[in-house]
Amino acid sequence: MATTARGRPALPQGIGRVTPGWWAFFAATLIVLAFGIVAIIRELTAGMVATGMRDVGTAGGATWGLYISMVVYFIGVSFAGITVAALIRIFDIERLRPIARMAELLTIVSLILGAFAILVDLGQPLRGITNLFGFARPQSPFFGTFSLVIAGYLFASIVYLYLGGRRDAALMAKHPGRLQRFHRWWAAGYKDTEAERRRHYQTSFWLALGIIPLLIVAHSTLGFVFGLQVGRPGWYGTLQAPAFVALAGVSGVGHIIVLAAIIRRLLGAQRRITMEAFSWLGRFLMVLLAVYLYFMVVELLTLLYATPEVEKRLSDALLTGTYAPIYWGSVAALVLPMIALMWQALARRWNVGILVASGVLVNLAAIGKRYLVVVPSQTHGTLLPYEVGSYSPSWVEYGVVLGLFALGALLVGLFIKSFPVLPLEAEEEVSVDA
Amino acid sequence: MAKYGMVVDLERCQGCRACMEACKVENNTTESMFWMYVFRFEEGTYPDTKMSFLPRPCQHCDNAPCVKVCPVGARYKREDGIVLTDPDRCIGCRYCSLACPYGVNYFNYQKPQDAYYALGIDWEDPDVTSVTGGVVPPYKNPDHDLLYGEEQRRTAGGGHAKGVMEKCTFCVHRVENGMLPACVETCPTNALVFGDVSDPDTPISRYVRAREPWHLLEETGTEPSVMYVGGKPPTLALTEIERPKARV
Amino acid sequence: MRRGVTATMVVAGILLMIIGYFGAAPWGADTVANSDPRITLAPTLFVLGVIVVFSAAIVYELLPDRERR
Repeated sequence: MATTARGRPALPQGIGRVTPGWWAFFAATLIVLAFGIVAIIRELTAGMVATGMRDVGTAGGATWGLYISMVVYFIGVSFAGITVAALIRIFDIERLRPIARMAELLTIVSLILGAFAILVDLGQPLRGITNLFGFARPQSPFFGTFSLVIAGYLFASIVYLYLGGRRDAALMAKHPGRLQRFHRWWAAGYKDTEAERRRHYQTSFWLALGIIPLLIVAHSTLGFVFGLQVGRPGWYGTLQAPAFVALAGVSGVGHIIVLAAIIRRLLGAQRRITMEAFSWLGRFLMVLLAVYLYFMVVELLTLLYATPEVEKRLSDALLTGTYAPIYWGSVAALVLPMIALMWQALARRWNVGILVASGVLVNLAAIGKRYLVVVPSQTHGTLLPYEVGSYSPSWVEYGVVLGLFALGALLVGLFIKSFPVLPLEAEEEVSVDA
Repeated sequence: MAKYGMVVDLERCQGCRACMEACKVENNTTESMFWMYVFRFEEGTYPDTKMSFLPRPCQHCDNAPCVKVCPVGARYKREDGIVLTDPDRCIGCRYCSLACPYGVNYFNYQKPQDAYYALGIDWEDPDVTSVTGGVVPPYKNPDHDLLYGEEQRRTAGGGHAKGVMEKCTFCVHRVENGMLPACVETCPTNALVFGDVSDPDTPISRYVRAREPWHLLEETGTEPSVMYVGGKPPTLALTEIERPKARV
Repeated sequence: MRRGVTATMVVAGILLMIIGYFGAAPWGADTVANSDPRITLAPTLFVLGVIVVFSAAIVYELLPDRERR
């Protein structure tokens, strides 16, 4: 096993060892993050006039834009963590175990990003925090987003990650180094006794069981934010909530495939994250994608068949008008991965490259579809005969969104460098004990 | 308890937009905000065209979607039927604006001071002061700073602060002092009638009894306090003659 | 002991959530005039309830055994 310059045995998985490549990665994320912060400062000082958003109606704009699309997208990605955990615990899919922790990490990071995306969308961000604690109303669909998603779901996921990591933390804490104190804190006296293992098995099962309803509610609640609004054509509908859950699954599982492939390559963990694991994720993504495509077709048929006047204006804008490139681009980015996944499933040969490409494509499609839910109903969906509006994000919005992605990459990178992102294995334990 | 309502007589409205002007003066709204807005529609193709007008204040719905969705209770309905925004509570999420099918909500995208009319004028100029008497805008109606209603919130005038939502208040500061809303007071053709609909002897109640009022976008189930008589509900076939030119 | 504390926390958390929810929502209130929560800081109680329920898992695992004390 490799040793560091000071003669200490190196920590497994390159923890605490920041190579030039990693420095470059951190520097790059920090630069993009700084750009995002500049954009936020611009928005805070000038007001939301710095964004491309304008009032619906006489001003002919969209008052929810890229930010809310990203809120929905980020919270959708958080689907990954608990789902993978649940697959492992409830369906006993052991092959996915090495992916569990990075999936939980992805959940936590994306929820944090979602929370930040909500904050930047508020005209009064500070009040957003204080007033929600004081006056939040359960009658508003936002209550679920605030209390269940941010408080419940995020907190539960952190608890899950924390408890699941205690064993590895205890192993890492045996190892001298700058991170020892952190690992010791995380382990919190874990001795890896039989009783502790049994207890953890119990809690992780009950936690997974408790979080799954929370996950469905949390993602549905976002659907309700839109689906309950009679006054906005294209939003009102019973299908919104289930479709939101399905697309959340698609983007979340797509994202975990990409992250798993990157970490597999980085850590040379081809043996740990097996092709079977990828085939499981691929098949799971295929099923979710099929469900979502079904919802999409149903929605499209309803839109084209019945079509009241306003819906017609909206569907024209979506299918042939202003939003057609995004619409058909998203459809292509959903159908192509579906074909690729089906072909791989039938051939029983899985290719990581194709899976990663599918993961990236479905995520682009998810962003596109979220955008198409949020924006066109505002610009083309006014019930009174206002003129058709338009919306295009400003550099501030793009900057903030890029900054959020950079923050996410930074958090994931920091975690990889400070804690075993793959659960430790027998031989790695040996090297720690040495 | 009084229950306020408004009747808009489309047969009398001549589309002069004096109500919009009166609202702006009374409530000091900034350039892009039209708490009261009058659609000017054109129908058909030249030369067989027909013009029609449709004033659109906030409908002060009894089943207000904006009140339902407000996450912090900044948008609320008073017992007398007026729907108001508390600018000190509003977090600026703009959900109300999307829940509202009428498009009556206006958001302060910037500091109101930066969005008023006639920003480029030198107010110290003697030619200007001879007209203004030395008053430097933005003029602020002092009544807006007072607290109104049982719940004593600072709701009149919409608050005019960056990052919060505002909309028509039925001129709550005037109504509470026994006056009519500015738009109603100004209307030269008496197309707007305001009053207590729960009292059968008010002019508005007589109006409602004599004519057959209809509501705007009845199908959305919002139960508006604003009623229309004469004319017909607007359809998307109508096109606006001109679009408000306003800088946000 | 361990099970008792955990169960108490879960029950207390759920109770807090119920109190917080109905304290924040004026369901059945006779006035539409004011949309403030009935109990001050009721939404915070709800969030606290969620946190208490899931903290029970930490307590269950981290509570030291009786023998060691």
